[in-house]
Amino acid sequence: MGLGLLASKAIRPTTRLINFQNPNNLFLRTIVSKPELRNPEPAAAQPEQPLVDLSPRTPVGGARVHFPNPDDAIEVFVDGFPVKIPKGFSVLQACEVAGVDIPRFCYHSRLSIAGNCRMCLVEVEKSPKPVASCAMPALPGMKIKTDTPVAKKAREGVMEFLLMNHPLDCPICDQGGECDLQDQSMAFGSDRGRFTEMKRSVVDKNLGPLVKTVMTRCIQCTRCVRFASEVAGVQDLGMLGRGSGEEIGTYVEKLMTSELSGNVIDICPVGALTSKPFAFKARNWELKNTETIDVTDAVGSNIRIDSRGPEVMRIVPRLNEDINEEWISDKTRFCYDGLKRQRLNDPMIRGPDGRFKPVNWREALSVVAEVAHQVKPEEIVGISGKLSDAESMIVLKDFLNRLGSNNVWGEGIGVNTNADLRSGYIMNTSIAGLEKADAFLLVGTQPRVEAAMVNARIRKTVTVNQAKVGYIGPATDFNYDNQHLGTGPQTLIDIAEGRHPFSKIISNAKHPVIIVGGGIFERKDQDAIFAAVETIAKQGNVVRSDWNGLNVLLLHAAQAAALDLGLVPQSENSLESAKFVYLMGADDTNLDKIPKDAFVVYQGHHGDKSVYRANVILPAAAFSEKEGIYENTEGCTQQTWPAVPTVGDSRDDWKIIRALSEVAEVRLPYDTIGGVRARLRTVAPNLVQIDEREPAALPSSLRPTFTQKMDPTPFGVAVENFYMTDAITRASKIMAQCSAMLLKK
Amino acid sequence: MAWRGNLSKNIKELRFLLCQSSPASSSARAFIEKNYKELKTLNPKLPILIRECSGVEPQLWLRYDLGVEKGIKLEGMTEPQISKLLESMVKAAAAFKA
Repeated sequence: MGLGLLASKAIRPTTRLINFQNPNNLFLRTIVSKPELRNPEPAAAQPEQPLVDLSPRTPVGGARVHFPNPDDAIEVFVDGFPVKIPKGFSVLQACEVAGVDIPRFCYHSRLSIAGNCRMCLVEVEKSPKPVASCAMPALPGMKIKTDTPVAKKAREGVMEFLLMNHPLDCPICDQGGECDLQDQSMAFGSDRGRFTEMKRSVVDKNLGPLVKTVMTRCIQCTRCVRFASEVAGVQDLGMLGRGSGEEIGTYVEKLMTSELSGNVIDICPVGALTSKPFAFKARNWELKNTETIDVTDAVGSNIRIDSRGPEVMRIVPRLNEDINEEWISDKTRFCYDGLKRQRLNDPMIRGPDGRFKPVNWREALSVVAEVAHQVKPEEIVGISGKLSDAESMIVLKDFLNRLGSNNVWGEGIGVNTNADLRSGYIMNTSIAGLEKADAFLLVGTQPRVEAAMVNARIRKTVTVNQAKVGYIGPATDFNYDNQHLGTGPQTLIDIAEGRHPFSKIISNAKHPVIIVGGGIFERKDQDAIFAAVETIAKQGNVVRSDWNGLNVLLLHAAQAAALDLGLVPQSENSLESAKFVYLMGADDTNLDKIPKDAFVVYQGHHGDKSVYRANVILPAAAFSEKEGIYENTEGCTQQTWPAVPTVGDSRDDWKIIRALSEVAEVRLPYDTIGGVRARLRTVAPNLVQIDEREPAALPSSLRPTFTQKMDPTPFGVAVENFYMTDAITRASKIMAQCSAMLLKK
Repeated sequence: MAWRGNLSKNIKELRFLLCQSSPASSSARAFIEKNYKELKTLNPKLPILIRECSGVEPQLWLRYDLGVEKGIKLEGMTEPQISKLLESMVKAAAAFKA
């Protein structure tokens, strides 16, 4: 391009400006994008005559408004529309009720109000300046205007300030495409900037293996600081410096040690905090979204799996107020790379030389069926794993029952666990119900590592209601105030007999909650412990018609459904005398208990611990590849959906056993997923009520009390390593890094 | 009632399906509230799975050896009738086995 051409290009717009534009305005760079915003006048105060009808409009996101006290309702006008809101709502919330989405960066409905981004400015009649709607309480009769030139100009100005120091690196930013700043600058920003100086630069912080930081992109909304201190309960992040030197940091060089740290990625409105494992892997618009649920713990967090082709690229949370709100734990979010490692893709038989040889399905199944017929029925044992879905567990149970064996159980369920009454093993209060509680007694459970989302609820309750927390178990980490009452069952007896000061706290509480850890199910004296807990519950009036505060916090995704289906070991030493062991994804069973001459079949998706002992491997699908029913710890049934295709020659768990039953000549009477679910309906009908929580009305106190001696051994730790609890997380590289760097030694 | 103590000899599993609140399930609920403790005390190893689910018809399922199951709807039955029914089913199972 010649110089002359450049010069002509530079001249042309100027001449055009001079020719066509208003001669009063000689500035080449206009401040605002639209001529009508140049001299905005506050909107006239005359009673407006809206042209459209004043019927109530749908709130943003279809939200419903809860009026705690109907007398306290006030009426405000948003753009002329009258809306009724409860007293204490902010202007921004009033606008949301009226169906007007106000742009914002720092405001987040689950965090405290900071009011520092100024993006949510709106015009309020009789107010001299635009007001920050997130921090301004709505007053009766307030006339809010969100669409006036003053409000628009205010947004445009704020946007310009925010973009001043924001780098122009959207093309290489991982937030690109789902960035609030990008979207809002398109919607509300000016079409040009006037900033010609150098942008500031900030040193990136090292927050650990999960969160990547690019601190120059930070707009100081402080959402992450508030999240860390309010929801996660760690004081790791903070604001340093003032003015243009202001930055988010960790004060001293320190990693963020929270099991919820991944959520700062979601709440960061810009690309300052992004996912480290996902960095530069994909653009969000090329991903396929599958709404499914998580299986790494018993909470059943609602997640969305983002996949590209056959690969899971990332996992993000989905809103479910009753279960995980909008957060998920780091294990849920980052376990996905485990789905690509150590996968079993072909049926295999161990040869005489001890090496596995890939075979086809027909051969593998016929070998298994032949061995199953050679042993006595009582020598057959089946164990389902931590990640098994309800369909495969019922099929496994039916198959072994038809072979004449009763030895079928789920991992983490001890001998003669009483699974008769559902109230005896689910979280009767429900996860959302915990928010009402004012006293907690945690018995042998470390909720922070066992179920991080339940722990977040307890923390919320402790901060909001000032609930008292008493804990019995080995010393552990809490992120809220608690009293460590003792380590073993002796303390439990003391409380049951009223000798302990904490029994007063329980009996004085209006909504007391007792949470028994799922680790108790593996204790021999579980009946005695449950009897002591029942006594405490009776004395403290924990179970009433309007409140059931007696809970069990389960450990694995499969546990609730396994108990519902009656997968309970019925005799001791059945594994020690087994000749044929069918492990369906069971990787945490003590393999030393299996006799040397037993034939072990491992059906599962990962080459984890049990594969070393297996004689035959049958490859199955992981939770991201199948449709499966899971029941969470509160008794809510949910379903996974396939996001990616299965690996190699693997099949759904229930289909493998169904095929095996045919080869073994004990054909099971169903061959579709609908058929299996119809079968589930005759065993535990609550398991086919997808997305419903079926409460248990019959109290667990109906159970007879057996005089059993309580073992004084202290309660154990159920989860040793939060980041690695099952086959998928143990195969994950990211989880291995987390265990190495973040676990407190 | 001697048959109650012999439940676990002939039956592998006993299942009650009922609704938490519906009137159709009320007699099944009453039966469980009155008899569960005794049945369980006499047969501590027998799984008596009581599964509550809203809107489900009250049903009684028995699992015998080799995965054979029998289910009966309890709708419209009174509590003594349920008890009778269970007794006759248990006796039938014993006769079948003998």
